[in-house]
Amino acid sequence: MNNTSKFNRRLVEFLVIAVSVIFVAPIILVFLTSFKPDAEIIRFQGIMPIEWTLGNFREILGAPEEIPIFRWLFNSFLISFSVTFLVLTVSSLAAYGLARLNLPGGRILFFLIIATLMVPPQILLVPVYLILNTLGWLDTPLALIIPAGAGAFGVFLLHQFFKGIPKDLEEAAAIDGCSKLGIYWHVILPLSKPALATLGIFTFIGSWNDFMGPLIFLDSVEKYTLPVGIALFQTSYYAEYGLTLAASVICTLPVIVVFLFFHKYIIRGIAMSGLKE
Amino acid sequence: MSSHNPNPAAPAPMPSKYGLQRKAPNEIKAPSGRFFRRYGGYLFLLPYLILFFSFLILPLVYGFWLSLVDYEMLSPEAPGFVGLDNYREAMNDSYFWRAMKATALYVGMAVPLVIGLALLMAVLIDSLPEKRQGFYRLMIFMPTMITITVAGLVWRWFYHSEFGLLNAMLEPLGIWVPWLTDPNWAMRSIVLMSVWWTAGVPLVILMAGLKQIPTSYYEAGAIDGAIGWRRFVYITLPLLRPILLFVVVLTIIGSFQVFGQTFIITEGGPELATRVIMHYIYDTAFNFYRMGYGSALSWLLFVVIITFSLIQFRVFRER
Repeated sequence: MNNTSKFNRRLVEFLVIAVSVIFVAPIILVFLTSFKPDAEIIRFQGIMPIEWTLGNFREILGAPEEIPIFRWLFNSFLISFSVTFLVLTVSSLAAYGLARLNLPGGRILFFLIIATLMVPPQILLVPVYLILNTLGWLDTPLALIIPAGAGAFGVFLLHQFFKGIPKDLEEAAAIDGCSKLGIYWHVILPLSKPALATLGIFTFIGSWNDFMGPLIFLDSVEKYTLPVGIALFQTSYYAEYGLTLAASVICTLPVIVVFLFFHKYIIRGIAMSGLKE
Repeated sequence: MSSHNPNPAAPAPMPSKYGLQRKAPNEIKAPSGRFFRRYGGYLFLLPYLILFFSFLILPLVYGFWLSLVDYEMLSPEAPGFVGLDNYREAMNDSYFWRAMKATALYVGMAVPLVIGLALLMAVLIDSLPEKRQGFYRLMIFMPTMITITVAGLVWRWFYHSEFGLLNAMLEPLGIWVPWLTDPNWAMRSIVLMSVWWTAGVPLVILMAGLKQIPTSYYEAGAIDGAIGWRRFVYITLPLLRPILLFVVVLTIIGSFQVFGQTFIITEGGPELATRVIMHYIYDTAFNFYRMGYGSALSWLLFVVIITFSLIQFRVFRER
């Protein structure tokens, strides 16, 4: 009995390891293959490169006129950081107002905001495109930054977190003459660092990886973000897998780094969405 | 909508019941001070609400109006109200139905596979020593962090019929698969890639759900002989049901909006076999600039998705 259960546990762990390896393998393969010369990429001769080369990276980074990859990298960083800052600011202010200030009509408003979580953003693309066109923001970073602040997820997440902060701290601060804004800044925000980190990382990665937004709202090649840039450049350098893979590594590296450092917050954020509240 | 949003920037409507005329002039400030105390908190909401109404509520209403209008951006004619004509057109549009069929095929294959794999892995990982659980979860979750362009291009390379990695690996077995070139295989290939790309999210939620089941239930069950497979069927599954349903609905909603995978890997082909509904909306609105018809198609997709969302709400209320 004991032996079979020990055997079963080994079997389970073996299966889990096998699946985990299959899931990570494509990522590792991309990294390794980006160091292969083209001939080795086209004819698969093994997982490890026989001849390590930086040629793919040199080629993709060395032609900024043809492939403005630094420009795309800069655009991606600019947009992702701005979106993250905007979402954290407006969502935390709104969530504080809704969770703590007992506003007349606040409950109905909160319900209205939460109800829009059911609206898939994709179905708003056509009207948002026309609104951005009217504002003259198409083909500018604003088209990707400003509308991102309207999402309800951040308000929802922070609202639930703020609700859980004990009231005594605020009351103590109020007795010391702290204004509402002061309480928000000096009491609520410092206590909410984990929730803010979760939301911030989520927003950053979501914005960095966004494909449909830049695809539709941007026109000029030099305005592109990395994901759209890479997609475009695949169509013009078709079958140049070495370049595509090197570009993929450049695009993925920041995300993987953020992920490996902050995976705790990411996992918790996703797990929270499924549990009560 | 705006009736729920007392605009804090608007001048304070003086509440007449305070009877201003009976008060000394220096007390006039009191009601507005009270007003500020009551509504001043809306200043915290103002930045968000401006964005919320401009880029969520307005597009929602505007999008519905657009769906009732014949709005061709490239045509010199002014957009005119056409009632339900766009919806009628969709009902008779064979491309729309093909796209719906492709989407249904994707949802029908991807959802059971994603959920099945995520549930299996969640239960298996949960049975392992706590110390190693996080590591395995991390590995399976990792692909969800990769942008669809990179993920799509890489899989396109895996699937390539000549230089593709998968066929190279299957060659010793004498197997050759037309991954992306055969209309029947193309959608299967998209689903396979999507399982890899998306299974991490339901896995994380399900594992969190498993952690919430008190061990005392399992201990009590063990006395009655509920171990192994029976433990899963009689204890784990019933207790996990609400979260499982939530994850299923979440996955269905996400799957109906599949776009990036087919756009990058197959470009909708071969023979439009993988042109899903989002892709058709994209083509309609942003290649042919038929904004009215594109909006109508978006709303039809929205109706399908909202139906599943409402099911989800019912499920939640049952909890």
